[in-house]
Amino acid sequence: MIAELALTLLLLLSPLALGQTQIPQFQYQTDEQFHEELVVRPLAGDHVNTYFQFTTRWHYGVHKNLYHTQLTPRVIAEILQTYDVKELHIGLTQGLWRYETWGYPIVEATGGAELWAWFSSPNLTDDSVNKQWMRLANVFSGILCASLNFVDNTNSIAPKHIFRPQFMESGNRSHQFVRYATLPREIVCTENLTPWKKLLPCGSASGLATLLNSGYIHNTKYHSLGVKVRTLCDSDDPSNCLVELTQTANLVYDLKLLEQSNTDFSLRRLFGMGLNGYCEMASSSKIYVQLNEQGERFQLTPTPQEEVLSTVGGHNVLFGVYDIQQQFEEPGARLFNIAWLGPKGNSKREHTSPPPLYAHRYLLGNGQKHGRIATEVTNTHYEPLPVVLMELVPWYVHAYLHTLRISSKPQHLHEYTSNELKFSLLHYAPGKQRELPTHLEIGFMLPARSSALITIEVDYLLLKWLEYPPDANHGHYIGSAVIGSQLPIGRNYTALPLEGYLFQDSFNASQPAYALTLRTEALIVSLPTPDFSMPYNVICLACTVVALAFGPIHSVATKLIIVERQTTIPRNLLRKVVHKLTSRFSRRSTNTVLNEQQNNEQNGKGKEKENEQEEKQLDQTQSCDKQAHM
Amino acid sequence: MGLLSDPSISTHNKLVDSLAKHMRKLCYVFYTAGVAWFMCLALPEFNHGTYLSENALSPGLVYPEIRIDANRLALQLLEELQRERKDHQSTTPHAWIMAKFNEFGLETYTHNFTLRYPFGGGKEFHGKNVYGILRAPRIGSTEGLVFSAPYRPPNSVHDEITASVPVLLAFADFARRKNYWAKDLVFLVTEQEQLGMQAWLEAYHDGYKNYHSSSAYLVAGSLPARAGSLQAALNIEVQDLEVDYVDVKVEGLNGKLPNLDMFNLVQRIMAREGVTSGYKHAPRKRRRMNLSPYEQNLRQMLSMLATQATGVPNGNHGLFHRYRIDALTLSAAKRVTNSNVKSNPSSATVPLLKSIEGISRSLNNLLERFHQSFFFYVIVHNDRYISIGDYMPALVALIACSFVKAYLSWSTLDAAERHAQQDAAGNETDPVVFSMKLSLPYGFVLVYLVVTLVIGYMGNVLPLQKYLMELSIGAGPLTLTMLIALNVAGIALPFYVVLPPGGLELLHICMLLIYGCALIVIGLLNFSLGFLVAALSVPMVVALNPSSRNGALRGLARLWALLLNPMVVIYTVVLVLTFYEFPELTFQQLLLRAVAAVMDAVTFALIDSVIYGNWLYFAACTVFFPLWIICWTLALAKQSDNEISHAKLKIN
Repeated sequence: MIAELALTLLLLLSPLALGQTQIPQFQYQTDEQFHEELVVRPLAGDHVNTYFQFTTRWHYGVHKNLYHTQLTPRVIAEILQTYDVKELHIGLTQGLWRYETWGYPIVEATGGAELWAWFSSPNLTDDSVNKQWMRLANVFSGILCASLNFVDNTNSIAPKHIFRPQFMESGNRSHQFVRYATLPREIVCTENLTPWKKLLPCGSASGLATLLNSGYIHNTKYHSLGVKVRTLCDSDDPSNCLVELTQTANLVYDLKLLEQSNTDFSLRRLFGMGLNGYCEMASSSKIYVQLNEQGERFQLTPTPQEEVLSTVGGHNVLFGVYDIQQQFEEPGARLFNIAWLGPKGNSKREHTSPPPLYAHRYLLGNGQKHGRIATEVTNTHYEPLPVVLMELVPWYVHAYLHTLRISSKPQHLHEYTSNELKFSLLHYAPGKQRELPTHLEIGFMLPARSSALITIEVDYLLLKWLEYPPDANHGHYIGSAVIGSQLPIGRNYTALPLEGYLFQDSFNASQPAYALTLRTEALIVSLPTPDFSMPYNVICLACTVVALAFGPIHSVATKLIIVERQTTIPRNLLRKVVHKLTSRFSRRSTNTVLNEQQNNEQNGKGKEKENEQEEKQLDQTQSCDKQAHM
Repeated sequence: MGLLSDPSISTHNKLVDSLAKHMRKLCYVFYTAGVAWFMCLALPEFNHGTYLSENALSPGLVYPEIRIDANRLALQLLEELQRERKDHQSTTPHAWIMAKFNEFGLETYTHNFTLRYPFGGGKEFHGKNVYGILRAPRIGSTEGLVFSAPYRPPNSVHDEITASVPVLLAFADFARRKNYWAKDLVFLVTEQEQLGMQAWLEAYHDGYKNYHSSSAYLVAGSLPARAGSLQAALNIEVQDLEVDYVDVKVEGLNGKLPNLDMFNLVQRIMAREGVTSGYKHAPRKRRRMNLSPYEQNLRQMLSMLATQATGVPNGNHGLFHRYRIDALTLSAAKRVTNSNVKSNPSSATVPLLKSIEGISRSLNNLLERFHQSFFFYVIVHNDRYISIGDYMPALVALIACSFVKAYLSWSTLDAAERHAQQDAAGNETDPVVFSMKLSLPYGFVLVYLVVTLVIGYMGNVLPLQKYLMELSIGAGPLTLTMLIALNVAGIALPFYVVLPPGGLELLHICMLLIYGCALIVIGLLNFSLGFLVAALSVPMVVALNPSSRNGALRGLARLWALLLNPMVVIYTVVLVLTFYEFPELTFQQLLLRAVAAVMDAVTFALIDSVIYGNWLYFAACTVFFPLWIICWTLALAKQSDNEISHAKLKIN
């Protein structure tokens, strides 16, 4: 009970406070700002995280103003006019964020494409939201050149507990709708980067975006492009609105994969070129470099202009700040480059402690008939943590709720014990073949320093032969699970607070709890796959032939063949003729009798019955004959 | 009533009658045709050249990038490992291997497993595997490849393959610095031979099992990290860094094979890098034997059949096949020092490393799991194979004998009866045919079949019973005693149970049908086993004729049946092997040693079946042995047969 209460409280807590703190600052005018930021954080194991964030914040006031865009891309304004979307998150990611060694990312994303949006309007229904959702996905499919047009009702769900609106006033929940979909198969490449850069006010012509060269950033271990749109209107005054577009690019470089394999690196080595200036449209243009923790190993040239110490939840992070606008103040400034010089000689690989909460997912079982999806969540913190887990299981995999188990073990043990955790929260929407995915959300308290293993058994479906993709034997994807929690400490936590929009807003942003969402690995399942080759076609053809031939063969094999032996016909020629004549005569006479009966219906039914009986007797004698002859 | 059930067709059919008259000849024709067809498969006209079916593999498309520094690293690692081995006489230097993985920048993990040895009286053995995962930059850990190397401590009885781990590590170091990997690479060092590999795979695919509640003999433990769905695996056994030739091992558990594309890929890459390699490759001296190509092919085929038939994998790769992971072993043999080829130790391993790199890059290219080429094949030569469509007719022809014979016996059952009746009752014109088929003792025969099956099944269960294991005899004697006891029971059964009239004929037909079905199924799962068993036993089954009066033939059939008793067969095979292994022993010593070897063989087969899931022991106990008991019953048919005819006469 207590666990349940705490959980719901924590979940409800975060979005509530926002509306009130923000609204008084609004003014009745349109002002538009653009900020560009780059954060460089050395990570454990010779990895470097670089995070670009481009924020456009437009206080547009009345709805009419959306027709005149300046810094905000016109598409975004048009979407706000056409659809009732209030909040939109898109992630296009390649690779997997490794929580155990890298800590938490600044923005979360799962492999492939991920999309979720909040809709809100007074007279919205579920159906109209579904329609808008699909259209919205189609629009962004065009804008970002991604396969988001494959988002439809068969792979979308409406998460119940795990996502909260970040910016929307949490007034009437009945008018708020959320939709979530992932496309784990999506491969992210240059074709997505180029249109993404075109959304920026300066494009890729100047500013920090010039560093994003596809030849370099796609050679990273992890790269993720993000688009986030949030709108907020004053609940008292609908003509006081603001829209915020945040574009993020989160990259993780592996220093060992760079050409020269020592620990030094620089902006030029990471991105292929130095910085040629700042975007003239930008109100601020800054580079933040983490100096402590893994950054301690490096010496920086040039040294940062200022240093900022940020304390978040008792955890100190030291950032060096470069203001690019200052850097390029005097005319004739050349390309700007920052170099990180690592220690000479063999650096000792220090053991990094894993973050408070991390998760993994894998598939168990062999064969193409059934399996088990196992999700392992580990809490390394000394207090119990509330955990909400959301699974989106596609329709071609049947999940069985009665097989859902949460077993736990203390962290230091290898084997799971038989005691099971109780879930305090369960939402389950069963899937429907070819129509709906299975949607499962469970919440439970994860004890301190322990792991939980959530398993659910699934059956794989045999698809229709046109439903297989061209590379059928590659397997089908099950998207990643989303895990939500509230951390009491700020260790490894770098995400921006909900009300903030610049990276510097995360400095000293201590909160009672830090909302965290994690994504696990996606899974590949081998569904039972026919052999799509010549033999397969031959089998199909042969089956058709067998199906056609079955009827005649069956009737030959089961039906009685009777050879009528005409013993009543005499052998003598004369008698034969006589017999024929008599038989014909008798047949004719019966016919005439029948005709007479039909003509004279008033003769009564009694006669008819008699006749019928006679005929039946005749038939019976004939059949008796046949049997005797057999 | 139609064609299928019309009695008028089978009894008075002239064709059937005449066939029945020449039944034995017909069966021998089938048998000869089957064996001849199989022999013909070794001819180049009957087999096909290998080709790569999966275009994504595109072997040799990229230039190998691994250089001499990798070889230098391997040499240095080997020296370090040799030093470590002095301190670890019977264990694996886990710490050293982990340190190396860590140094190269891989995620490093260990995996503990426990074996509760069934005959150990509650004794437990513990093992530990070490593995490192190279996370591929181009994928979110959804797919993986496995590169494994077994480690053997210095006191191991097997060949020394210490160099495998340095080669694996050198390749891992090279691979870590490349960014083209599209599948996670798992570098796995196993110990305890196949046990470690089996435990790792079980832990990977079956997850954790509760240690205390599970009754499994092998407690696989749990894995701290995984790499998605495994696509393929390469096992490396290197005897020395100076490689003479590479033997490619493919046979897996229960005779399963990796996709032929994988074998072809290895052959292509090896040829490209100039490494002598092949299937069942032997040292140079033996290869110089002057054999005709046909004879060589046939030898190769037969040796593959022999290896496959046991169902025991001949390397760690064999355990992957059950999980539909295609895998094979590269077994690199040491170069003999007096070879006339002078080699430079500082670059001797480069070709091998280059070929491992080439194979891994081809596997890395795979978009789909291996599915294009053959999974059922027989390798005739390094570049020639026989597909399942070509070799199955041979097996089908052998087994066809039993079905044909069953059909003819069934259809002439009435005819024989009618003749007997006519002899007895003279020329009475009674049109009502007394059908014998309706009066056959179906129930009794069914019970008899079940009894034989139970006797056979006991062989699986009895040796593993707790109360028997508590007796103070070893595992080998215990199992062997059990089996001999069951055998005696089987041999004695026909002397105690006399079948009622007609029972023998019915039993014969049932036996033929069960025998045929069992062999077809076994042949589909493991062709080699099915074919070898069929080739040995079909003549006996054909010769068996419970109603024949020919004494000499019956005696021959009895002798043959006795010789084909599973225990006798095992003993003979082991005896022959022992003779080849220890030619210096006297005959008596040989016989005794063979008994000990049989004991070991039986125990190992039983352990294989409970730990690895090898079904050879199960099939021998539950399928072959009951069939043999029935054959024995039929071969001994004399007394009961006479009784039947007496009884018949009395009735009439």
